[in-house]
Amino acid sequence: MNVIALISFLLAAGVLAWVSERMHRNAPRWVSLVAFVVATIWTGLEWVGAPAGTEEYARQFVSWIPRFGINVHLVVDGLSMMLLVLTAFLGVIAVVSSWNETEHSQGFFQFNILWVMAGVVGVFSAYDLFLFFFFWEVMLIPMYFLIAIWGHEKKAYAAMKFFLFTQISGLLMLLAILALVYANYASSGVITFDYEQLLGANIDSTISFWLMLGFFVAFITKLPSFPVHTWLPDAHTQAPTAGSVILAGILLKTGGYGVIRFAVGLFPDASRDFATWAMLLGMISILYGGYMAYSQTDFKRLVAYSSIAHMGFILLGVYAFNEAGMQGAIVTMIAHGFSTAALFMMAGAIQQRLHTREMSNMGGLWIRAPRMGVMTLFFVVASVGMPGLGNFVGEFLALLGAFKVHVPITIGAAVGIVVAAVYGLSLMQRAFQGVPNPDVSSMEDFGIREMSVMVLMMVGLIFIGIYPQPVLDMSVPLLEQLGVIE
Amino acid sequence: MDYLQYIPALPLLGFFILFCSQGRLARWPSAIVGVGSIGLAALFTLIVGMDYYAQGAEPTTLFLWTWMQVGDFEPAIRLYLDGLSLVMTGVITGVGFLIHMYASGYMWDDEEKGYARFFAYMNLFVFAMLMLVLGDNLLTLFLGWEGVGLCSYLLIGFYHRDPANGYAARKAFVVTRVGDTFMALGLFLLYRELGTIEIQEVLTLAQQNWPDGGSTVTLVGLLLLGGAVGKSAQVPLQTWLPDAMAGPTPVSALIHAATMVTAGVYLIARMHDIYLLSPDAQLWVAVVGLVTLFIASFTALCQTDIKRILAFSTMSQIGYMFLALGVGAWSAAIFHLMTHAFFKALLFLASGSVILALHHEQNIFKMGGLWKKLPIPFASMLIGSIALVALPGTSGFFSKDAIMLTAAENSKAGMVFWSGAALAAFMTALYTTRMMMITFFGQTKTEPHDHSKLNMSAPLLILCALSILGGWFGLPAVQSVLPDGGLPEINHFEPVAIVTMVIPFFGILVGWLVYGPKAINVDGIRNSQLGVNLTKFWASGWGFDWLYDRLICRPFMYLAEINKGDVIDAIFRFVAAIARGMHALMTLTQTGRLRWYAANMAVGLLLLLVIVVLEVV
Repeated sequence: MNVIALISFLLAAGVLAWVSERMHRNAPRWVSLVAFVVATIWTGLEWVGAPAGTEEYARQFVSWIPRFGINVHLVVDGLSMMLLVLTAFLGVIAVVSSWNETEHSQGFFQFNILWVMAGVVGVFSAYDLFLFFFFWEVMLIPMYFLIAIWGHEKKAYAAMKFFLFTQISGLLMLLAILALVYANYASSGVITFDYEQLLGANIDSTISFWLMLGFFVAFITKLPSFPVHTWLPDAHTQAPTAGSVILAGILLKTGGYGVIRFAVGLFPDASRDFATWAMLLGMISILYGGYMAYSQTDFKRLVAYSSIAHMGFILLGVYAFNEAGMQGAIVTMIAHGFSTAALFMMAGAIQQRLHTREMSNMGGLWIRAPRMGVMTLFFVVASVGMPGLGNFVGEFLALLGAFKVHVPITIGAAVGIVVAAVYGLSLMQRAFQGVPNPDVSSMEDFGIREMSVMVLMMVGLIFIGIYPQPVLDMSVPLLEQLGVIE
Repeated sequence: MDYLQYIPALPLLGFFILFCSQGRLARWPSAIVGVGSIGLAALFTLIVGMDYYAQGAEPTTLFLWTWMQVGDFEPAIRLYLDGLSLVMTGVITGVGFLIHMYASGYMWDDEEKGYARFFAYMNLFVFAMLMLVLGDNLLTLFLGWEGVGLCSYLLIGFYHRDPANGYAARKAFVVTRVGDTFMALGLFLLYRELGTIEIQEVLTLAQQNWPDGGSTVTLVGLLLLGGAVGKSAQVPLQTWLPDAMAGPTPVSALIHAATMVTAGVYLIARMHDIYLLSPDAQLWVAVVGLVTLFIASFTALCQTDIKRILAFSTMSQIGYMFLALGVGAWSAAIFHLMTHAFFKALLFLASGSVILALHHEQNIFKMGGLWKKLPIPFASMLIGSIALVALPGTSGFFSKDAIMLTAAENSKAGMVFWSGAALAAFMTALYTTRMMMITFFGQTKTEPHDHSKLNMSAPLLILCALSILGGWFGLPAVQSVLPDGGLPEINHFEPVAIVTMVIPFFGILVGWLVYGPKAINVDGIRNSQLGVNLTKFWASGWGFDWLYDRLICRPFMYLAEINKGDVIDAIFRFVAAIARGMHALMTLTQTGRLRWYAANMAVGLLLLLVIVVLEVV
C-alpha cells in the first residue's frame, strides 16, 4: 500500500474541499465525504486483499535529511493497518455527523478534518521518530482550529487547554526523542531517527527509564489517563460533533498506539520495570473515569469521562505484558472507536435538535425519537461491556491478562465494570427514559443518513464481539516482535 | 442432535425480525413471530430430547465456531447437551412458550409499538437463557449470563415513562452485576490455575489438581457463588428482586420466577465438582440458601402487593434450592427448580389475570371476594398455592420433601438446616393462605372485568396440570450428570418425614384462623409495639435496602456531587492561575511612565554594581 499517496490524497482533498466552497456552499462536505469513503475502501481493500499471514502491508522509504539520519520511513503492520481503516471509516462518520452542523466556513472546516486525519495516518505509520513527531504536530493544529472556531460556548478555553496539554507533553516527547538519538549516537556513533535502528539501541538502563517516562507521559496525556486527563472533558464538550468523533474515535488511540509502539517497543525492559505503576494508573483511570462520568449532568461530558475509564483498560492490558492483556488493549482501541464515536454523534445530534447537552433538559426522548433511543441503548450497552459486542472482548481479555500478573489491581479494575453499568444506564435513564420533558414537544428522529452510519458501527461492534479473530490475528506479529509471544 | 443449534437460533431470529421491524409490525404478526419462535424452539427441544434418549443419553457437543483464540485461551461457541442442560432447555422453552402465549393476550391492550418491542426483548431473553444453559465453556455461559441480565433490565423498565420502573431496572442490573463481577474474577482465577474455562475440562482438572481441596478451590467456589447469589437474588444481593416486579407480569413469571433467577442454581449444579472438593464453599451455599429462605418467607408475610408476595416467595424457594445444593441434594435442587418453574409461573400468570381484571391493581387489600368472579384465575392460583406450600401429591411436595429430608441428614448441621427450612415451610403456608384469603374471599372491594381469552386461559390450565403432576415422575434425566445419582429414596413414615409433611397443614390452619372468614382477633399482637416494629422490619426486607442505601448509594452520590468539577483539574487550574498571576505582575511594570522606567533602570544598575563589587571583594 502506498501510504505517502494516501496522506497526500487526504491533504490534497483538504485543499480541494477548501477551494470548492467558492463553487457551492455545500460542496466541501461532499468532497470530504467522498475522500473518506474512497480512503475507507482503499484501506479496506488493502487489508482484505492482502494474502493471509501478511505481516507488513506497506513499507516506504524516502530520504529526507540524510545528515541527521531523518527519513520518510513509513511502515504499516497489522496494528497500523487496522487503525488506518478505523481512521478512514471514522472520517466518514465525522463528516456525516457534522453534516448540517456548521453554518460558516464549511470549506475550512472540512479542510481541518481532512488534515487531522492525514496527520493521524502519518502517526500510525511513521517509522522515523522525527517524522512521527512531525505528524504528531500536524494532527494537533487542525484539531485546535476545529475546537477554537466551531466549538461551543467555552471554545477558546477548551481549545487552549487541549493545545497546551498536548504541546507540553509533546515537548517532553521531543526531548526524549532527541536524548534517545543522542544516547544511541554516543554508543554506536550513528545519528539516526529511524525506529528500527533505535530498537536495538544500547542504552544505560537508568537513562532508558527516564526516556521511557518521557514517551509514556506524552502518550498517556493523549490517551488520556489519570491524572493528566482533565483536558479531555473540556475539549470534548466544546468541540463540534465531528471534532468529538475524531477526538474520541481516533486521536485518543494515537496515545494507545504510541504506548505500544514506542514506550513499550523502544524500552521493553524499562517498561516492564514500570509495569505495575502503569497498571495502577490504568486501574485508577477506570475507577475515577467511571465515577466522574456518573457525576456529570452534561451528556457529552459524561461520555468523555467514560472514555477515560475505557482507556484505562488499554494501560491495564498493555502493561500486563502478556498476549491476552495486549490483545485486549488493542481490541478495546478498535471497539471503543466505534462505540464512543456513535455516542458522541448521538450527543451532537441531540444538541443540534434541542440546543442543549444538559441531561436535565432531556428525559423521555425515546418517545419523541425511538430510533435514536434504540441506537443510544445499543451503544450504551456496548460500552457497558455486554458479551457479544466488541468492547467486552477487549475489556475481558485485558482483565484476563492483568489477573495473571497482578490480582489486586485487577480486582480494582473489575469494580469498574459495575461502575460502568451505573453511569451507562443513568445516561440512558436521564436522556431517553422517564417522563417526557414538556419543553421538548417534538424532536426529529434519525433519518437514513444517520441511521446508515449507526448501523455500520453496530455491525462492526457485533462482528468484533462474536468473531474477533480477524482483529486478533492482525496483532500477532507485533506481539511476537514485542516479545509477548515466544 | 442435528437440530440442537436451532433451539437458540429461533428465538434469536425472532428477536432479529421484531427488532428490525422498528415497531412497524402490527400486533398479530408480532405475536406470531414472538410466540411462534419460542414454540418452534420448544418443538425442537422435544425432537432433540427424543433423539438424545434414542442415542443412549450420552452427552454430546455441537461446535459452531471459535469465539476467539488468544494463545491457549480458545473459548468456542459450542453447545453441550446432557441431562442437565436438556432439563433446563425443556423448562426454558416449554414454560417459556406458555408464558409467551399468555403474554400475547396480556399485552394486547398495550400500544402497538410496545407490543413488538416487548416480544423482541422476550425472545432475546430466551436466546440468552438458552446460551447460558447450553454453553459448554464458562465464557459462553457468561455471555448468556450477562445477556439475561440485560433483558431483565430492559423488561423491568419496559414502561420507561415511569422513572420508578427505570430505577428498579437499573437496580436489578447493577446489583446483579456486582455478582457478575465476582463470577468474572472466578473465571480469571480458574483460567490462571487450570489454563482452561471449558466446563468439563475444569471439572476434571479440578479433581486432579486439587484432590484434597484447599484454599484455591474454595475461593473459586465462593467467587462462583457470588455470581449465583446475584442472579438468583439470594442474601446479600437479593434486594433487586422485589423491585423487579415493576415489569409486566409475564416478565415476572418468565424471568423473575421460572428461568433467570434459577440460573445461579444451574451454575452451582453445573460446577458441582468444585463444591465437592471444597466442603467449606459448599457449606456457604447451604448457609446462603438457609438465610435467604428464612428471611424471605417472613418478608412475604408482610407484603401488601400481590406480586411482591410472590417475589419474596420466589426468593425463598430459590433459597431451598441453594440449601439443597449445599447439602448435596443436587438432583433435588434441579427437581425443585423445575417444579417451582411450573407452579410459580402459574401463580404469577394467574395473579396477572387478577391484576388485569382489576385494572392494574396490585394491592391485595383492595381485592377480595374474587373467587366467584374470576374462576379460572382463582382455580389456577389455588392449584399453584397448594403446590407452593407442598401439600402431598403436588409437584412441590416431591421436590421440597427431597430437599428437607436430605438437609435433615446433613452431618454438619442437619437439624439446623431442617428446622430453619421447616419454619420457613410453615411461613410459606401461612403467607400463601393469607394471600389467597385476602385476595379471593371476604368482601369485594374492586369490581373485576374478566379479560381472559383462550390464549391466556390455556397456558394457565396446562401449568395447573404441570403443577400437580409435574413431580410424579421424578427427574431421571439428571442422574448421570449430578453426583448424587438422582433423587434420594424417601421413607414417608419416618418421624421427620411425617412432621415435614404435616407442617404445611399446620401453616394453613393458622392462616385460616387469622385471615379466614371467622378470624380470631390478633390485633393485640399486631398492634403491640413489638408487633408493629417487627412488621415494619420484615416488610422492608429486613433492612437490607436501608443498609445499602446508607453504606453505598448515599456516599457514592455524595462524592459524585461534591467532585462534579473534578478535583484533579484544580491542580492544572492552579498552574494556570500562577501563570496568570505572574503575567499580571509583569504587566504592572509596563506603566508607560518614563520616570518609572528610569528609576527601575537606576535600581537595576545599582544592584548589578553591588553584585559586581561584592564578587570582587
